Amino acid sequence: MRTLRLPRSPKVLLGLGILTFFIIMTVIGPWLAPYNPSATDFLPNTGPSAHHWLGTTSLGQDIFSQLLVGARATMVVALLAGLVATALSMTIGVAAGYLGGYTDDGLSLLSNVFLAIPGLPLLIVIDSYLPVNSRSNAFVIGLVISLTGWAWGARVLRAQTMSLRNRDFVEAARIIGEKRWRIMLSEIAPNLLPVLASSLLFTVLYAIGAYVTLAYIGLTSTSVWNWGTILYWAQSNNAPLSNEWYWFVPPGICIALVGTGLALVNFGIDEFINPRLRAAGLTSKQRRSLGLPRRVRLGFTPVLRSARPGVVAPTNAQAASQ
Amino acid sequence: MRMIARRLGLYALTAWVAITVNFILPRLMPGNPIQTLIGKLQGQVTPNEINAIKLSFGDVKGGFISDYVTYIGQLFHGNLGVSITLGAPVSSILRETVPWTVGLIGISTIISFCVGTFAGAMLGWMRGSRLDTLIPTATFFQAIPYFFLGTVMLLIFGSHLGWFPVLGAYSSNVTPGWNWAFVASVVRYGELPVISIVLSSIAGWMLGMRNMMITMIGEDFVLMAVAKGLPRRKVIVHAARNAVLPSIANLSLAIGLVVSGALLVELVFNYPGVGDLLLQAVLNEDYPLIQGIFLVITLTVLCANLIADVVYLALDPRTRTEAAV
Amino acid sequence: MTDPLHVRDEREARDSAATNTVDRPTSSEFVLEVRDFSVDYGVGSSMVRAVSDVSLNLRRSSVLGVAGESGSGKSTLVYAMTRLLRAPGVISAGNVMLNVTDDHGNALAPVDLVRANEKELRAVRWSHVSIVLQSALSALNPVLRIGKEFDEVLKTHRPEMNKTQRRERAETLLTMVGLDATRLDRYPHELSGGQRQRIMIALALALDPELVIMDEPTTALDVVTQREIINQLYELRTRFGFAMIFITHDLSLLVELADEIVVMYAGQIVERASALELYEAPRHPYTLGLLNSFPPLHGARRELTGIPGSPPDLADLPAGCNFASRCPYVMERCHQEEPRLTALEEGGRSVSCWLQVSGASASVPVELARTPRVKRAHPTSEEAVS
Repeated sequence: MRTLRLPRSPKVLLGLGILTFFIIMTVIGPWLAPYNPSATDFLPNTGPSAHHWLGTTSLGQDIFSQLLVGARATMVVALLAGLVATALSMTIGVAAGYLGGYTDDGLSLLSNVFLAIPGLPLLIVIDSYLPVNSRSNAFVIGLVISLTGWAWGARVLRAQTMSLRNRDFVEAARIIGEKRWRIMLSEIAPNLLPVLASSLLFTVLYAIGAYVTLAYIGLTSTSVWNWGTILYWAQSNNAPLSNEWYWFVPPGICIALVGTGLALVNFGIDEFINPRLRAAGLTSKQRRSLGLPRRVRLGFTPVLRSARPGVVAPTNAQAASQ
Repeated sequence: MRMIARRLGLYALTAWVAITVNFILPRLMPGNPIQTLIGKLQGQVTPNEINAIKLSFGDVKGGFISDYVTYIGQLFHGNLGVSITLGAPVSSILRETVPWTVGLIGISTIISFCVGTFAGAMLGWMRGSRLDTLIPTATFFQAIPYFFLGTVMLLIFGSHLGWFPVLGAYSSNVTPGWNWAFVASVVRYGELPVISIVLSSIAGWMLGMRNMMITMIGEDFVLMAVAKGLPRRKVIVHAARNAVLPSIANLSLAIGLVVSGALLVELVFNYPGVGDLLLQAVLNEDYPLIQGIFLVITLTVLCANLIADVVYLALDPRTRTEAAV
Repeated sequence: MTDPLHVRDEREARDSAATNTVDRPTSSEFVLEVRDFSVDYGVGSSMVRAVSDVSLNLRRSSVLGVAGESGSGKSTLVYAMTRLLRAPGVISAGNVMLNVTDDHGNALAPVDLVRANEKELRAVRWSHVSIVLQSALSALNPVLRIGKEFDEVLKTHRPEMNKTQRRERAETLLTMVGLDATRLDRYPHELSGGQRQRIMIALALALDPELVIMDEPTTALDVVTQREIINQLYELRTRFGFAMIFITHDLSLLVELADEIVVMYAGQIVERASALELYEAPRHPYTLGLLNSFPPLHGARRELTGIPGSPPDLADLPAGCNFASRCPYVMERCHQEEPRLTALEEGGRSVSCWLQVSGASASVPVELARTPRVKRAHPTSEEAVS
């Protein structure tokens, strides 16, 4: 059985670092917030200062507090939607891939239909019909987002399941007479782990984008603070055009950073799934001292300096002093 | 040809699902905003059009099935109902806005796909070189919401530096039509939105192509191209020609995502396409318009998918043979 | 079909005639000379030596067989020699001289493949050294028509040819390997495995190279097709006189095709001899084991025993002889000292085994001390088919 072991490349470590930072922000952000994000107690439209690190809104609210409080709603909805959608893709993808036949045809068709419908417009249509009180409900929004975001994962998981289905150990379990659901759970599911993880990252990424977008166009409750609502208020008060960068830039950067973190971790998973993507683990210093090129060109196998007479191989001391 | 037939079947089914969602959603929702809406429209629309609105909201007591049949019948005649706020038939409103969107998003997507794929091929081939440091940067751009990047671009390059005209699709000094001044103005006004969409979407193509390229370089036929002593450029083409196939196969998924994101860029730039219209419709709870836009977007995306399928078919001889069997 | 033995004599006559001609620079009698060649996977602490200290010579127009189990380093050796080995492969020692000639057989400056830069390598590739891989399906670009592959090679290396000439050349080549010229308009997936492999062979001969490397070209094929391809190769080699390095794990196949065979184990050559001597009178226990793993294509049946155990972990080689742990004749000395490839007294062959060292204990097992029947005719292809 393969366990998911991420390569320790700088990319992956950076990604994990970013994600850890924002997860901590999600958990303790609301407690750290210096003020009530909705309180309109302050001088409106002030720039960053010692009291208001990110300035105030045109209603006199503290933007930094909104950012900290908003992290939780954003991340919780994204994570919820990501988990539900991945659960859906796993159920549908694995069932389609493992059971095959008409079940596969039907489920594949279903996911293909959902893939072909553009997600955001569908989301907007569904959301615009939701009663206003449901729009402020993180669970409802999360569920609706997951409804539009499961299909891609299902397709990938189906393909992976189909290739696993024909491997020896699954065949063996079938011959022994294990029950189908047991094979699915105990033999196939663990081997899907890397693909599943990658699919989860992507759905969370999609969910953040979708949620923030919905909030930005005013389709979630504008009184629930998330990064999208901050952008909504900034936009509707013309912050971008009136040079109030401190109002609309920070939430955008936060969204992009979380997305970058997710994508960077996914690089690690990709390298785990597809070994060809893994880089050779040599530092540039080691390469130099051995006379190897920085980049190995296909079809030009490098030759160690020591194998090329006429070029004196540097001793360790020389290499170290460089 | 069998593949195309199958895809056509899928798209027909998808269109039907979208129509059905449109039909059922209003019926599932609590409350009845319909009477007030019709009241608003009194005198502006014909009874026939009022009927269409009622139909799409489930206000006609003809029973579920017969309503459904009538609804689909109306759609086939191009009757999408009447916009509540604009008081005009949805179909004629869309006729004016859709070309802007198709032009903007279409051109951006083509540029983004071509440039991104080329850059990805180079990144994949040059793997291990200093170019690899571009990857986290590209990833960051990929993660920025389209509308946010659009806003920042608008602010910096439009308002602050004044390099590009902002807001709208053409200058108010030109008369719309097929005259040179108008076309030039449209191009000029389109630059910044196009750049924004390209910047937001390019990383996806680039990184996908890079990974496929690396995978392809591991294949025997690429090694053979080197063994044959072919110049480097030709070796890269051997690999890239195959690596691009999955990108095109994935185009259907990506088009949906790009369109979703790009619609909001229109909003940022006040571009007169369906994205801007959609926001107005949502804010005003103009349901017939929301539904009409959703349908049109879906159908357009399906057409784009079909084009992508045909391109794929043309590029991969293996699918052609399967289809012939 | 011509009698290979007869042809062989003819070739030798031609070769000696060439060497006797005084008025043109004589090229070296070897097309390829490999000296002290070592290949590593990775460098530094994670380094594994995959090929260690290999030297061999390949005579013009002769066939060298390289045999060994998977993981013995036989493919690594050959790919690294041509600098085609993928990362993390690194050449750590030695040189590989390719004695190239021009179209008229005049010697050109020899090329050391280990020292050659990209440009020099590109010039040598395919026009002097070509390669045929195990799986023709993966070696052909799936989205290109067969004709395009030929066209591209000719266009790159024979810029003086025009489009029609290139097409004609491709048609000739295809006919030569017994395929219809219309196959040029097909895609790889539309052809059978045998057809694809013939195409690869035709492609490899497109520029009349001096050396063709065959990396298990018949392993993926069924027995009948395998037989046809081997016959074809024999014929083509006879006709065009290219030298061949043939990699396979199937020793009995090599016995038919090769002039000389080297047997590799754990990255080293353990035995080198002429094909017949090696077949009839193996001197290394590993060679004997390999011979017993495959049914002979002709002659007396042997008991198929195979070799117990599996090849050693290259990252953790034992002291002494690498084969000791699997060797049925293992002695005390084998675990302590590593044997070296040494020329045998009988001449013309070498082996790396303590059993065969002169003056060693007299207990050489009888199956490793046979006398080859020198007069035995090389098996003809017809004989082998029946």
